[in-house]
Amino acid sequence: MNFTAKAAGMALAAVILAGSAGNAAAAGTTVCYAFQDLSTGFWVAGHSAIVETLKAAGVEVVELNGGHDANRQLEQVKDCIAQGGDGIILTADDGDSGTVVVAEAQNSDVPIATFNRPPSDMTKGIIVVADNEAVARAAVDAMVAEATKKMAATGKKLKPLILMGDLGDPNAVQRRAGFMNSIGAHPDLFEAPVEVATKWNAQVALAGLEAAMTADPSIDFLFTSSDFLFPTIKSVLEPLGKWKKAGEDGHVILGGLDGDDGACKLIQDGFVDSTGVQDVYLEAQLALTGIMDAIKAGETQPNAVKLDPGFALSQANYAEMGPKTWGCQVLAAK
Amino acid sequence: MTNSVSFPPGIARFSLPGAQWTRRVLLSEYFVLYLTIAYFAVAAFFFPALIEPRNISNQLSNVWPLLAVAIGQTFVIIIAGIDLSLGATMGLASVAGAVVMTSAADKLLLGGSPLWGWALTEQGGLLANHPWAVAVGIVAILLAGVMVGLLNGVFIARFKLPSFMMTLVTLMLFSSAAIWITQSQNIVNLPDSFNRLGSGDLVSVYFGDKLTPEIKRREILPFVTYPMVISLALAIAAHLLLSRTVFGRQVYAVGNNPKAAEISGIPVRRTIILVFVIAGFCAAVAAILYSARLEGGRPTIGAGSALLDIIGATVIGGTSLAGGKGKITWTFVGVLFFVLLSNTLNYMRLSAFHIDVVKGAIILAAALLDVLRARLIAGDRR
Repeated sequence: MNFTAKAAGMALAAVILAGSAGNAAAAGTTVCYAFQDLSTGFWVAGHSAIVETLKAAGVEVVELNGGHDANRQLEQVKDCIAQGGDGIILTADDGDSGTVVVAEAQNSDVPIATFNRPPSDMTKGIIVVADNEAVARAAVDAMVAEATKKMAATGKKLKPLILMGDLGDPNAVQRRAGFMNSIGAHPDLFEAPVEVATKWNAQVALAGLEAAMTADPSIDFLFTSSDFLFPTIKSVLEPLGKWKKAGEDGHVILGGLDGDDGACKLIQDGFVDSTGVQDVYLEAQLALTGIMDAIKAGETQPNAVKLDPGFALSQANYAEMGPKTWGCQVLAAK
Repeated sequence: MTNSVSFPPGIARFSLPGAQWTRRVLLSEYFVLYLTIAYFAVAAFFFPALIEPRNISNQLSNVWPLLAVAIGQTFVIIIAGIDLSLGATMGLASVAGAVVMTSAADKLLLGGSPLWGWALTEQGGLLANHPWAVAVGIVAILLAGVMVGLLNGVFIARFKLPSFMMTLVTLMLFSSAAIWITQSQNIVNLPDSFNRLGSGDLVSVYFGDKLTPEIKRREILPFVTYPMVISLALAIAAHLLLSRTVFGRQVYAVGNNPKAAEISGIPVRRTIILVFVIAGFCAAVAAILYSARLEGGRPTIGAGSALLDIIGATVIGGTSLAGGKGKITWTFVGVLFFVLLSNTLNYMRLSAFHIDVVKGAIILAAALLDVLRARLIAGDRR
């Protein structure tokens, strides 16, 4: 765990200890954190923030790694309930399995909060989620500003492409909607977009993007639904001579979503134009305070949606928004 | 009576008090059961909540689906084969049933499916909201499992393909097919009566002082559940088939020595085909239980580490990968051990980074003990 994550954890712990949850409520409390993997910077940062914060607050933490197996995660959560867990924080593999796990917890009178990846049924549980549609749209709008300049210079419409996430994940659906809404608002600027499925898998993304770039080399506007795919994008664009900084000839306008340290570095270096930032530390705090408050109040089936409004980080606003971006904080601490 | 123990070459000789007793335990066919009980006792000493009825009830609920599919693998391993396609079979069967039963499908998610527009629409699947939907859906699941098993069996028996190779091919073929058919999406909105097969209980118990409206739902424990009845019925049928029928003896004979079995007049090809059909059927039963508990047809239901759990539980139970040796009761114990292991590791409050390391180490220790057992038995026969 790096310094920034530790500092964020301490700050969150202070919030919980000083807040309504209180230290007395935390002592002797067991919270299970069920997640699917730690394969991206966002999930690693979220895991650190949640686990370290709970431990700092005196809460016993049970970590449950489902390893992308919906049944395994369900069994782990059932174990947690049977073993007397007081609350659950969940990141499910997809929205459907999230719905089943939330129902299992609520049927057993154990409060549950979902962290970042919501269940398909968002009426049950404490749902902490970024406003994905708005964040994606803000990031793509920043790219559109660059596209407008490019069209003014070349007189040609741009060819956009989106690397979509797993559409069984409501986050991916909302990010695609944000992209489409932004692109659709400028029919004079863009041709019909190309959609490439990734299933949140770098290998699937690599194959799909290579095929798309081969089929249509004119693609010059690329949005990835998650920042963790930027290395994959680089490995496809670089051999084609299209991995260029903004302002250089052949630059593909690039944008993403997450706001991780990789994207922050690429914005610093000029390769990426913008990224939508979901605040991992804010979301961790919302999930933690939500679950601890519910435990203290004896609420067994709390239902609420807590939105992380997010924002767009771009080359234009880097000086102002960079320090507020969690990935840039992680990068600065490295 | 002597305390000296005769060991084969490579194993140190020792003479200790209680050595005979240790040896008897090690050589018992229920060694893994004793190991499981010992592990449970030690774990319960450190984590007393393990033996609470609530936890035991939960552990059992995790046993039944894995037991169903491990029964099929037991048949295959007894004939000295292996079925790597059981997870893929579960995924395909799960999807096949869901396509029949679902009452609504999302065009955004499934619009790219080759089934969209004729088998799947926004109004649901082939028999959406039909009174026969669940029955036909279950038949579709079982049929899909049997057909995959039949394909495996025919190619292995008729064309002498190694089971490892054939089932590796069908693993890739049918897992890809299930993902292609669904575009890797889950098919949800299954009938409640089907979903109840995954978690519904016939008898519940409460161990508190009195029955009041304030009883927490988590304190009401499922005792006899649908998955329990289904898996136990399958296990009893499989046990009787293996231990009390001519077919059962033929299965062991084929596993011990297929050439000798053939010369003895045993229909080896037919036995192999039937064994793989049984394995496919068992995978389909497990697909019913998993799909129902997860409330959806899932193409990836048997992906990931599921296959390792199936093979691991079967082999740790004592069924020999060399063939000719195995029992359903052993597999039941192997499944119990696997589920108990996962359950206790959660209790240990280990970091997620360490849990799989500890799990692997414990499985390795169990495997080494099994090797020691095998050497002792071999020494006895010399």
